[in-house]
Amino acid sequence: MSTASLLHLLRRQAIWWVLLLMIIIGALISDAFTRPAYLINILRQAAPVGIAAVGVTLVMIMGGIDLSIGAIVSVAAVTCAALMDGDPGRIGIAVVASCALATAIGAANGVLIGYSRVSPFILTLGTAIVIYGMTQIVTGGTARGAVSPGFREFFNQRLGALVPVLAIAFIAIALAGIALQRLTRFGRSLYLLGSNPLAARLCGLPVRRVTILAYAASGFFGGLAGLALLARSGVSGSLAASGYEFDVLAAVVLGGTSFQGGRGGVGGTIAGVLILMIAFNLVNVVGLNYHAQLIVKGLIIIAASAIYHRLDSNPGEAS
Amino acid sequence: MSDPVARPQANEPLSAGRSGSATTPITSLRRQRPPLIAVLLIATLFGCAVFIDRFGAADNLANIARQGAVLALLAIGQTFVIAAGMIDLTVGALATLVVVIAAHIMNGESANFPLALLAAFGIGVGVGALTGVLDAVLRIHSLILTFGLMSVLGGVVFTYTDQSSGAPSPELVWLANGSVGGIPVALLLVLLVTIACQVLMTRTRFGVHVQAVGSSLTGARHAGIPVARVKWICFVISGGSAALAGLLLLGRLGTGYPNAGDGMELDAIVAVVLGGTSLAGGRATIIGSVAAAALLAILSNALNLLEISSFVQMTIKGVIVVAVIIANRPRLPDRAAASA
Repeated sequence: MSTASLLHLLRRQAIWWVLLLMIIIGALISDAFTRPAYLINILRQAAPVGIAAVGVTLVMIMGGIDLSIGAIVSVAAVTCAALMDGDPGRIGIAVVASCALATAIGAANGVLIGYSRVSPFILTLGTAIVIYGMTQIVTGGTARGAVSPGFREFFNQRLGALVPVLAIAFIAIALAGIALQRLTRFGRSLYLLGSNPLAARLCGLPVRRVTILAYAASGFFGGLAGLALLARSGVSGSLAASGYEFDVLAAVVLGGTSFQGGRGGVGGTIAGVLILMIAFNLVNVVGLNYHAQLIVKGLIIIAASAIYHRLDSNPGEAS
Repeated sequence: MSDPVARPQANEPLSAGRSGSATTPITSLRRQRPPLIAVLLIATLFGCAVFIDRFGAADNLANIARQGAVLALLAIGQTFVIAAGMIDLTVGALATLVVVIAAHIMNGESANFPLALLAAFGIGVGVGALTGVLDAVLRIHSLILTFGLMSVLGGVVFTYTDQSSGAPSPELVWLANGSVGGIPVALLLVLLVTIACQVLMTRTRFGVHVQAVGSSLTGARHAGIPVARVKWICFVISGGSAALAGLLLLGRLGTGYPNAGDGMELDAIVAVVLGGTSLAGGRATIIGSVAAAALLAILSNALNLLEISSFVQMTIKGVIVVAVIIANRPRLPDRAAASA
């Protein structure tokens, strides 16, 4: 095996070793990390951020970014709760409608970015404000609706008295994301567009369609994340997931998908989410205040970007 | 690429700029933008004065100037960073940090004013300098770097305090809310900073270097411009302006509110872009940024006077952000060729 491919393999595997290391560090600090129930609970805890991060990973492979993800997750959660309104018979329609709305918002992001070619970073920060504003107008700024009985119970029941359905749903969605990225033409288009946009265009890749699809996918996964958030916490406030973009971005970047695009994948993101959640739990265990999590997130975003950038750049390359 | 930067006032016929946008997008944009913001500003002022009753009252106009001053200062600092082809998302959180710490130090006492002033600028310039060093050392995109730092600074603010505490000293309250001969002190302060920074940007070697770095990093490097130092100074200026903005904000709020600067980084970026500075870097106008900040302050004031709900205002603000970013979109060669 050549050095280059060994480095490549190391780069792809490294994040899982870091995850293992985090669990070992956790176990040294607190016994809780040796109990399967606790570890599986971390999986459940990670579901909303993790599911949202799957979609954002797809966008970032393409070289885009979706910072409106927190707003999309919030609007999906509040829409679902408002449509259910405590009636078990309306769970189906609420789930479908909130995912459709989230997908539509994502597609709108994609259209704006695909046709204007502006910086998605700033644009999605702007659409986030629009989404929050409109959500607040509709809800009046307070939590609306109520979660139907049966909804949370279904997702939080533990199969075999151990694994919550929500954790299984998270794994299933992650696997679906990996399949989308690896096995479909769409997935390969994302990598081509991300690693060399000009070549992609010259190859006749339908750049706009791929862009719109990617952001729509980000919206769709954001919708699922909204449902997961609702299932996990029952919170249906209009700002339920504000600030999620920081968690999601930290997880994706940590997982090895770079801001420049063309690299990484959903698998790494899942490891990234789990590391992030363990880090948050450790912050709590050590007795630091909740706000220290913000500092941890920020440092992870910066450090992970810098380390991967260092690993990727050739020694001879300028800037 | 550094040649057009050195002569920002190229005097060519307007018609050539409009029809010839396919060949010289940068020069044509430069001629069109400053008048655009001027026209918008005058039209909005006129429209508001005619259609909104209390708008033209002297105290309301002074109020707008004081409100807009904070944003104008942030926008001035951001202009340097954007002109150099980067972006600084930390300024909102940084201004908040200054608000909280200066309020704590002052605690309403005149005696503590000098120390608080020192601390405010120490924090602002210090964080700006740190951002600049990290930018040079880590070499990751400034968007992602400052996005991470924004989270860190937010965490630092809330670890420091999660409730409003402290108060500005009388001197600071006067700076933020006082008047000299009927003109708000904050307005005079902003005018002073604007003139100084406009001179710095257009009449000094540093300003030319900033725009050269923004228009072509490699070109600037080949031309022997100390790229790393220029970028570092831009972040320091941005941090310093965030400190000054934070102080004015504290003077207006009257207490160290830990959410004081929320979202202001985006407002500042929008003001800069609306003012005519290109997000792609290389073209900057300080006066444009300040005019755009004034326009945003006027709009916000008008919506308040019309008693539009804050949620609707938020939505309108978001739409303005999106519209401005799209209007400022980069013109790609194949696109321009297709439309010609």
